[in-house]
Amino acid sequence: MSSAEANPMRPYLGRLAGIEDIAAGIKLFQVEMTGPEGQAAFSEYKPGQFAFVSAFGAGEAPFGITSTPRRGSLVEFAIAALGHVTNTLHSLEVGDPVGVRGPLGNWFPMEEIKGRDIVILGGGIGGAPLRPVVHTILDNRVDYGHVTILWAARSPDLLVFTEEFDDWRATPDLDVHVTVDRGEEGWTGNVGLITQLLEQVNPSTENTVAITCGPPIMIHFAFLTLGKLGFNPEQSLTTLEARMHCGIGKCGRCNMGEKFVCTDGPVFWQSDIVGFLEGLL
Amino acid sequence: MKVTTLDALRSWLDTVVGEYDVVAPRDVDGHVLYRPVATSGEIVFSYERPELSVKDYLLPATEVLLRVEKRGGEVTVEENLADRGQVIFGVRPCDAHGPATIDALFLEQEPPDTYYSHHRARTVLIGMACPQLWEGCFCTSVGGAPDDATHLDVLLRRVDGGFAVDTVTEKGAKLIAGLCVEERDGAPDAPTTEGEAVPVMPPDAWRPLFGDNIWMRHGERCLSCRICTYVCPTCRCFDVADRVVEQGAGITRIERIRVWDACTSTNYRRAAGGHNSRPTKPVRLRNRSFCKFRYYPEDYGPLGCVGCGRCIVSCPVDIDITEVLQDVAERSGR
Repeated sequence: MSSAEANPMRPYLGRLAGIEDIAAGIKLFQVEMTGPEGQAAFSEYKPGQFAFVSAFGAGEAPFGITSTPRRGSLVEFAIAALGHVTNTLHSLEVGDPVGVRGPLGNWFPMEEIKGRDIVILGGGIGGAPLRPVVHTILDNRVDYGHVTILWAARSPDLLVFTEEFDDWRATPDLDVHVTVDRGEEGWTGNVGLITQLLEQVNPSTENTVAITCGPPIMIHFAFLTLGKLGFNPEQSLTTLEARMHCGIGKCGRCNMGEKFVCTDGPVFWQSDIVGFLEGLL
Repeated sequence: MKVTTLDALRSWLDTVVGEYDVVAPRDVDGHVLYRPVATSGEIVFSYERPELSVKDYLLPATEVLLRVEKRGGEVTVEENLADRGQVIFGVRPCDAHGPATIDALFLEQEPPDTYYSHHRARTVLIGMACPQLWEGCFCTSVGGAPDDATHLDVLLRRVDGGFAVDTVTEKGAKLIAGLCVEERDGAPDAPTTEGEAVPVMPPDAWRPLFGDNIWMRHGERCLSCRICTYVCPTCRCFDVADRVVEQGAGITRIERIRVWDACTSTNYRRAAGGHNSRPTKPVRLRNRSFCKFRYYPEDYGPLGCVGCGRCIVSCPVDIDITEVLQDVAERSGR
């Protein structure tokens, strides 16, 4: 017996077309969708959406998609080796099969924020779902105003997508500021929290949207600091991460009160989140 | 009323077992449980509330979702869906109310769950009314009744010399077409529903109580054993994992399984990296309570509680959901 409708728990098949070390314990996986259904599903997806990646035999886990379809058909994920599924993914090689279920969730309102200045705050692997935001701006530069990127990590070896900084910096009217919580030998850049850097840079709030992603504690303090600089909750966006097992609102895992990260998000305005009964901190 | 005798019911059930997977109350080492039966002789016809609900047969505690075969670099994925119809016999009205609650999320919210939809479509529920409320029961406070036929396909009620038969749905009528019944005057006795109603506050009343000390008071002694969610007809949280069932000669066979999970467990919210956003027992009990009486009705319509009372009689430290409801009502000043 087969189901009449597509089974939302069934992954599309893919193959690892590229694997790259991008930071300590973090790899970039490039997935080539191998079947027509998977190719169709991932022919269009938006910055901020996520997908479940299967390492068959170990399980599946959700990850923010870190690529844009405009830049190619390979679907990219930046994944830190932290648990069973992610460590198994890290043991795979180019050519190995994987499964991908998605794209899922909502996305950054890139259309709605056209014409505005943008401040991007990325903490650690939280930079992964922000990279498609940066790429969308770069590929449609005239659509957005001044762009300030603040990029941070606990230590220099955990900074992601550093090899793209030159490309980002070569873009007109776009600044990139980098900081680490703890420096190390040879590090000549900023040392300090991303919130301290944010206060130093002190971006104008006028016609500006702030977009942040990082660990829950960073998002919490980023919002506080943005507030201190005059940003109101209607002009700050974030994307949240939670443990989840379905991505379609059934498994119960990622609720924040009556809201779900998977189906109501993962992208939220700060003004939405303040009304939620429960946070993720 | 239409009445059938126990003998007629038994011989009819013996014809059903050939055609359907039949699940019915059975005595398992002194515990009455809904279990698969091969003959009507295994069925218990006089029982209180089976110790577990019928949830296991619609949203199984462990269910193989996909069978994956890896042959070198090639992968094939097959869905695992049962072929046969299923009849669950002797379902208490609250246990039919359970799947009706899960329907609101698993069938009615897009996208529907493939496996649950499949089990629902292949299943007929033959109910057995309760003559009274059992220990801990409060179905009448949450929209049910001991003889509520609403979510059943057929309802049986005990009468002198047999059972009154109410056909509720087309599906039920088709199934019991071969059951011998006779027309008789009168009606079955109404069940006794003595006892005080439990106050159930509307979802709005809950929000201001999120930070109340009710949760500390009831949740502090919780053991995180999760029996409340295990026995609950409406708790639907699940986890998904892979297990390797066979490996060798270049072939790996994998099952992707779904298993029940519980928001009352210690690590439910522990994310990669170790952060746990619901680190204490009171906040986990609060989530379970809010889910049933605020989030579920807000998001999907029905209350997440059918009043079966199983969590009350199962809890090793006597956490009582009706006491929580009492406190919520008192704190709301209503």
